[in-house]
Amino acid sequence: MNSIPLEYFLLVAALLFVIGAVGFLLRRNLLVLLMSIELMLNATNLTLVAYNRFRPENHAGQIFAFFVIAVAAAEAAVGLAIVLAFFRVRRTIRSDDADLLRN
Amino acid sequence: METLRTLFPASNFALLAVILGLPLLGAFVNGVFGKRLGKEGVRAMALAAIGGAFLFSVVTFLMLPHAAAEGAPAEKLVWNAWRWMSVTGRMGQSIPIDVAFSVDAMSATMMLVVTGIGFLIHLYSVEYMWEDPGFARFFAYLNLFIFAMLVLITGDNLAVLFVGWEGVGMCSYLLIGFWFTDEKNASAGKKAFIVNRIGDFGLILAISMLVYYVGSLTWNGIEANAGALLTPVKIWPIGNLSAETLPGFLAKILIPAKPVQVYASTLVGLALFLGCAGKSAQLPLYVWLPDAMAGPTPVSALIHAATMVTAGVYLVARLSVVFLLSPAAMATVAITGVATALFAASIGFFQTDLKKVLAYSTVSQLGFMFIGVGVGAFAAGFFHVFTHAFFKACLFLGAGSVIHAMHARIHDVNKSQDMRNMGGLGRYMPITRWTFLISCFAIAGFPMSAGFWSKDEILWKAFSNLPLAPPASKTVPMWAWPANLGPAIYWLGILAATMTSFYMFRAYFMTFHGKFRGWEIVKGWKAPASHGHDDHAHDDHHEAEESLEGPTPRESPWKMTLPLVVLATGAAFAGFLMAEPIHIAPLGHLLEPVFEHASKAMTEREGAKGLMWPMMLPGLGAFLAGTGAAMYVYLNRAGEPERAFAASSPRFYKLLVDKWRIDELYDATVVGMVDALADIFTMADKWIVDGILAKLTAGVVALLGTILRAVQTGRVQVYAASMVIGLLGIGWFIVQPHAAATIDDTKLKQNGQVVLAAAPGLGYSYLWEGPGIPPAKDYSPVNQLSVRLDPGEKKDIVLHVRNAFERETTTTIPLARAGAKRMGDPGQNQVPEVRQLPTGPIPGERIQELLKPGGFQ
Amino acid sequence: MKALDFGIFALSTLLVLGGGLGTVASKNPIRSAIALLVSILGIAGMFLLLAAEFLAAIQVLVYAGAVVVLFLFVIMLLGPAAQSPADARSAISRYLGAATFLLSATGVLALVLRATKGATTTLATQPAGFGTIEAVGKELFTSSIAPLEFSGALLLVAIVGAIAVARGKQPDPTLAVATPKGEEPEAAPEKAPSRRPTPKEAHS
Repeated sequence: MNSIPLEYFLLVAALLFVIGAVGFLLRRNLLVLLMSIELMLNATNLTLVAYNRFRPENHAGQIFAFFVIAVAAAEAAVGLAIVLAFFRVRRTIRSDDADLLRN
Repeated sequence: METLRTLFPASNFALLAVILGLPLLGAFVNGVFGKRLGKEGVRAMALAAIGGAFLFSVVTFLMLPHAAAEGAPAEKLVWNAWRWMSVTGRMGQSIPIDVAFSVDAMSATMMLVVTGIGFLIHLYSVEYMWEDPGFARFFAYLNLFIFAMLVLITGDNLAVLFVGWEGVGMCSYLLIGFWFTDEKNASAGKKAFIVNRIGDFGLILAISMLVYYVGSLTWNGIEANAGALLTPVKIWPIGNLSAETLPGFLAKILIPAKPVQVYASTLVGLALFLGCAGKSAQLPLYVWLPDAMAGPTPVSALIHAATMVTAGVYLVARLSVVFLLSPAAMATVAITGVATALFAASIGFFQTDLKKVLAYSTVSQLGFMFIGVGVGAFAAGFFHVFTHAFFKACLFLGAGSVIHAMHARIHDVNKSQDMRNMGGLGRYMPITRWTFLISCFAIAGFPMSAGFWSKDEILWKAFSNLPLAPPASKTVPMWAWPANLGPAIYWLGILAATMTSFYMFRAYFMTFHGKFRGWEIVKGWKAPASHGHDDHAHDDHHEAEESLEGPTPRESPWKMTLPLVVLATGAAFAGFLMAEPIHIAPLGHLLEPVFEHASKAMTEREGAKGLMWPMMLPGLGAFLAGTGAAMYVYLNRAGEPERAFAASSPRFYKLLVDKWRIDELYDATVVGMVDALADIFTMADKWIVDGILAKLTAGVVALLGTILRAVQTGRVQVYAASMVIGLLGIGWFIVQPHAAATIDDTKLKQNGQVVLAAAPGLGYSYLWEGPGIPPAKDYSPVNQLSVRLDPGEKKDIVLHVRNAFERETTTTIPLARAGAKRMGDPGQNQVPEVRQLPTGPIPGERIQELLKPGGFQ
Repeated sequence: MKALDFGIFALSTLLVLGGGLGTVASKNPIRSAIALLVSILGIAGMFLLLAAEFLAAIQVLVYAGAVVVLFLFVIMLLGPAAQSPADARSAISRYLGAATFLLSATGVLALVLRATKGATTTLATQPAGFGTIEAVGKELFTSSIAPLEFSGALLLVAIVGAIAVARGKQPDPTLAVATPKGEEPEAAPEKAPSRRPTPKEAHS
């Protein structure tokens, strides 16, 4: 079960992170922005787990990933609630329209 | 009695806790629950608290003579409550300061006066203040005052006394400004407080010096170790001030040939007296007392006549040991006393406000008390405190009664106190009139009255006493009491007594005789609905029956006249408690142990023997002259000569009426200076703090805000992009190799070894180059290098670093070791300059100077 | 064995990257959510390859089961508004986005490859029981009990906060009962200021 080298996982994680980051920067849909964040978090998790596999003395990486998942779940819940509230106020979910504080 | 004695032994006399606790409880209950209790409840609480305290004071007083029998040192009842703190003395010893209370003959007498007269005045106030909206507050303050005064009297050490001292000061402040809505009253309270602070500074100084020199603050401790006060103290030049530290011309003026030395006892005595002068309104700190009459009249009677203001006299008598060790301090006390007595009497001459006359008379009488304690007649001075409490309280309460009646008619605070609006009141207010007259006789020194015995005793002692100088060191001479100082004080005192009887009877005749001038005042007076009636709320149910003429003045109710009668009785007969010349002196015998040392330190002046009875004649003459003159001027001629005097020398008359314009002088000097200082600070605050600092700060913040506002677009993506840019910056830093090393040269001085440690990084490998290092062919993960340096040697180490991205960088680390001291480079070492000897003939007076090291430069 | 591993890895990679690209690139948010689900499943497969069985299960349960479903719910709630009109982009902006992505992906790949210098690190055999529920649970409840508790508190706060934020301002049911029908509850306090001038007028 050890035939895949560590670097492969890291490459995949890096690419996934870039996908998430570029998506976050370029999209305007708040829902997609949240999903991009999830992608980036997943990429980080993958790195953590891969490095934990590289140093399997304890489960620090996996446990960290576990907490990241927990935080991500909380973030998704609150983020989506905010999206809903925002939608109720502005009747849109375009991130550019969240500019009430400006001027 | 027997039960009480076993219950409260002399060494643990917990009954004092009850005496102290009752007024405190009253103050607490009236202060916190006063509104809810209602007036009847407040009255009951206040009267019960003070009445109880008075009863227990009587019990204490009766138990006192038996205290000595129980083995207590001297006749003293002691209650040691708890250890307050402990300070370190100058020998390193620990000086305990306890919350301890004690009662001896003097404090027991004072206790009786405070609680007894306090009770009468409480009773009087119930009627006087009944209509006042601040009824509960008034009694809370008054009870608190009694508590503080009792702490002051019964405190067994200076620290506890100081607590009471400040407590009465605070209550005095609160009660002077009782009608604080009036600006004048509030500022009178402030004035009293601030002037008292000046005195308190002296008292704190005295306490500190006593701790330092004597090492004790308890009365017994001070008495036992008072000898330590006979230490000469250098007071000038202060500290390190010397001819060397000052410029030449100043040194000539300021530095005397011999340092000025005085005895610690003089310093302590003067500092103590500063405190006493503040509290007891002596020159030059008397100015607050006349203004303090802004408070309700019972307050003036209790605090500013009978009890608090005599605290200074009490303190001097209490610490008589200290004063006996310094004739100079005693002379200061006595001279200040006689000066104050004369000065205040002169102001009292032509005052028209009844309460102001009494206020200046109080200041003057306090001066008499200080004459007494100043000439070493502590018992006599203290006895004057006692008698004065009776007749002055009676006078004030009588004045209050008159004002009460006048106010019902005139409805104006100032006008109802003005004697020019009174006259003939004796017909309407017989009890007030007769008690006032008796008290006037007492204060003027009518034979056999209270004031006669105490005042004559003081003056006789001033004439006859000669304080003995204590044994002093040979190097510092002790100032001796000149032989003619006593008689001078005596004759000035007689003059002051004459003036006293004149202005007191002037007040009496103007108030109670002649025709009532108040009719005219009231003539235009209309309905009370629009009158400028301030918070003086005792308008005495006359509102229904007012006519154009207004209500006639009428006698006050019994709650006000009963205290008058009791106090007048005291004023008439209290003198027989210590009538020394006729050898009826029960109080005097009681006080004897308290002032035992004082009588030892006194001697009778030569030529005074057997003159006691003859020397009473001038006192009697003073009474007759003053009273007769007042009678002639104000009864027979209805004040005509005073008007003639005012017309003949108007400026002098005006000066007297304006109280010598001392207040104006203080305003111009002290107050003006402080005001100017405050103005300067205000300007600094306005222009520098607000103008420059605040505006500058605000400007910088505004500028930053303008800049940052441009960055805050409000778009999430822009923020994310800036994060990415920051991330790229960090990534670039990681991609670049960085060559750096920490240098550990702790062993450089010992063996010249330096250890270099290169900083780690992502995939770093290192290559070291330098003299004396074996050349490495390739980069290696070795990041440490040890280099050896000889003294004075310099080496340049080159560090190459390559990181994970095959990028390389190089840095040079210069290393150097200082040369050895002996074989060091001569060019670098500083060679001391060879001193050039002066050529040519050397002036003789400079040889000595040149011999000193570094003399010739 | 080796071939199987590589097969699984290749499949997972395909799922992860394809799902990620689909998430970011698709116009319709429902498609994005489904693509996110695919990507998450791929990550779970990678976790399995990395001997993190427990995390793989959590990943499927929490992400696929909860988070993605939540996204879908919200998309359903928003209805057609979920697809914001501005995302109907022109071809140029799409190409620009793709170019940005390609550029940064190349940069990252180059960076990683350069850092590893093309070498690969073979992972050693993991100890027995590594990544099982038992092993991870033991550590979770011993050495990292405090963070675990805190994450519980965080989730609670998140739930309450999410409810509070998403619920918005609702009329108070108690007020609704007290006021008669047809009258807005906000109308009651407005009456007081309207009454205020009356005593003043009476006074003057």
